[in-house]
Amino acid sequence: MSKAKMNNAALDDLRVLDLAGPMGLYFTKQLADLGADVIKIEPPGGDPTRKIGPFYHNEIDPEKSLYWFHFNTNKKSITLNIESPEGKKILKKLVKKTDVIVESFPPGYLDSLGLGYSALKKLNPALIMTSITPFGQTGPYKDFKASDLIGLAMGGFLFICGWEDEPPSRVGGSQAYNIASIHASTATLIALYHRDITGEGQHIDVSMQQCVAHSLQWVTQMYDLQKRIMVRSGRLGVPLQECKDGWANFIALFDWDLLVDWLKSGGGAADLDDDKFKDMDYQIRPEVREHITEVTDAFTKSHDKKWVCEEGQKRGVIAIPFNNARDVVENPQLVSRNFFVDVEHPELGKTFKYPGAPYRLAETPWKIKRRAPLIGEHNNEIYKKELGLTSEQMALLKGQGVI
Amino acid sequence: MKTKTRLPMQGIRFADFSWFGAGPYVTRLFAAYGAEVVRIESNTRIDGMRWQAPRKPGVPETYNISGMYNNFNPGKLGITLNLSQPKGIEIAKKLISVSDIVLDNFIPGAMAKWGLIYEELVKIKPDIIVATMPVMGITGPYTLWRGFGTSIRTAAGIDYITGNPDRPPIGTGMAALPDFTCNPYHAATAILAAIHYRNRTGKGQFIELAQFESTVCWTETAILDYTVNKHIQTSMRNRLPYACPHGVYRCLGEDTEVDYCAMPESEPDHRKKDDRWVALAVFTDEEWQAFCKVIGNPPWTKTKKFATLRSRKKNADELDRLIEEWTIKRAAEKVMMLMQKAGVPAGVVNDGEDLQTRDPQLKARGYYVYLDHPEAGRIAHDGLTFNLSETPGEIRRAPLLGEHNDYVYREVLGFSEEEINQLTVEQVLD
Repeated sequence: MSKAKMNNAALDDLRVLDLAGPMGLYFTKQLADLGADVIKIEPPGGDPTRKIGPFYHNEIDPEKSLYWFHFNTNKKSITLNIESPEGKKILKKLVKKTDVIVESFPPGYLDSLGLGYSALKKLNPALIMTSITPFGQTGPYKDFKASDLIGLAMGGFLFICGWEDEPPSRVGGSQAYNIASIHASTATLIALYHRDITGEGQHIDVSMQQCVAHSLQWVTQMYDLQKRIMVRSGRLGVPLQECKDGWANFIALFDWDLLVDWLKSGGGAADLDDDKFKDMDYQIRPEVREHITEVTDAFTKSHDKKWVCEEGQKRGVIAIPFNNARDVVENPQLVSRNFFVDVEHPELGKTFKYPGAPYRLAETPWKIKRRAPLIGEHNNEIYKKELGLTSEQMALLKGQGVI
Repeated sequence: MKTKTRLPMQGIRFADFSWFGAGPYVTRLFAAYGAEVVRIESNTRIDGMRWQAPRKPGVPETYNISGMYNNFNPGKLGITLNLSQPKGIEIAKKLISVSDIVLDNFIPGAMAKWGLIYEELVKIKPDIIVATMPVMGITGPYTLWRGFGTSIRTAAGIDYITGNPDRPPIGTGMAALPDFTCNPYHAATAILAAIHYRNRTGKGQFIELAQFESTVCWTETAILDYTVNKHIQTSMRNRLPYACPHGVYRCLGEDTEVDYCAMPESEPDHRKKDDRWVALAVFTDEEWQAFCKVIGNPPWTKTKKFATLRSRKKNADELDRLIEEWTIKRAAEKVMMLMQKAGVPAGVVNDGEDLQTRDPQLKARGYYVYLDHPEAGRIAHDGLTFNLSETPGEIRRAPLLGEHNDYVYREVLGFSEEEINQLTVEQVLD
């Protein structure tokens, strides 16, 4: 790839002001990693999400949160108290040169400060404001408090996850936040397309609950068409095989003969070569599944999961290893494609491997140019160089707790 | 809100070769905002979604009544085209020459077999954006591996940090999280970014979204925790290190009878609606105090065991048991309302019925969209997840198989009646 191409970025003409909490973290990371100039506005003292672990060497420190590192690559940071009169003035100055402003405050909060969309659009009619909230800007629950878990619950994802004899189980990470974020990304870029054509900005109202409800596979149709409520299915429908060193997800439904041949080559297929097993309706009966698993388990338990999956895939069985973080980092496919990227942390004197590009754009590559910012790392660049504040003015604002 | 005179993506056309879930979920979004999405299907190679359960009982079985197909493809145009014929490929190229974006989610090599790769397509449409969504990637030792949304989640390490670590690793079970979240929405983000770049420079480009890589991005800090600390994260179940209580608690069952079902084809399971739960998440001391007040400040809340976040974490099993003694006597909605009124994050664990018939918030927001379908009747669709104040989107019903052949072949591609008849006889438009 030519050097010029390496430096192209799809969104490097955009300035983004990021006032959002955890629901917006992945959204603005996406914009920043595609080249947008994202300025994270932290309250003086630092953003509360800096307190979320895990931490570098388990040292609890707002500059050592791996959660912060992961979600804030390429972003800049300034500190600003937007509730103070001086803070409001500064924010309004910044808004004039901003393309997208992102926030996740309770509905009405920015309006109460005189910083709502209707006020800001007067300063900049092309402004796109993206508001991400748990339940949206309107409706009876608009003021309800939520978290990732509550988002999964109210959006319907939690109910279908877990064992039939246990409480519903959340998915690891903060996936309701990620889901809300990624819908916000597309919403904002659709608004940007409209702005490219017409010059017109707008206000976007993203509801985490709706985003999660949009992610439920067949829940909507099962109820609508058959009045059936999808419930936690436990191991049913999750074709797990036990291997010597862990588990594999193992789908042989479409390749029955291939599976049987493989089992025969490795010690025995018992009665699985009977044609009745090729009938899918028969195959998915719980007692039949259980029998099949017994036979296949006996085979796979004598091999490690990597071998089972590599050999299985070669033979046309859809076999996928149950990977932990180390397996993922060492995965031959990801390693051969140079998926992980090195990010320097000069303050720690270290370079860490980060998850790489979720998408590879040939002309405008996704890229991490810079680790997540320190608290207020770009105060000087933004306040002095861009807004022209003097050192004395900066000191005064600092004394007043504005920055 | 403005009237829907013009949808924002009008004028953008997709030649959409994708099928099943993750690909069509990309173009679902674009169709809702006005892009003309032409789904290229074929009678010779039916999209598996067209025969998937669930279907409405009593409706004649055709390829047009699948609930999932109809919910994954609203607002698109449907054509049939047989790509195993050279003339079919020619027509596909003709369509691409008047399109902005080409999308597929085939196994690597399938589009190349038809000559429909970026290097060829850029010759017929210089600013084309070509996006492909292979499972593992178009290169690498596992390039030909196959997988589904459920197994991609397993490979990416998300299942490892999910659920009960003492039982077999079912992850999110049959819910194919990546198919409906990170993979389609990452792809849509990349395509929209590429469109913006094209608006600025006139240049199209090639986009590859390997579903495995896209999903690993959502394994989140478990990756850094390993690369930085050499720590392999396991599941925390429903708990979090920085909140307590944080979990899901059983609530009072209801007398109404419902039909629970674990898999779309599983036997009827009529029973009382007793699978009722509330999720509670207490982060701050104020929230803890408010929580205690809601449950009537029982003496145990004042003991040392539960005084601080740290002590509550230490005694979380006992705490959860005590909380459930309180929740199980109350309806989930009631618990949520009491908690929210006091400022404690709480939510009903909504099931499919709650979402569509009860949740007043989704109702007020008009989330579900009910539309008439010529064969399936009046059916529900997932609606829009965000409101754009100036350019709202719109959900329109999904196409029947080949429904828009006439419009696309005649009006978009300009074939004459005779040409269409000839191509039909030759089974090119099959």
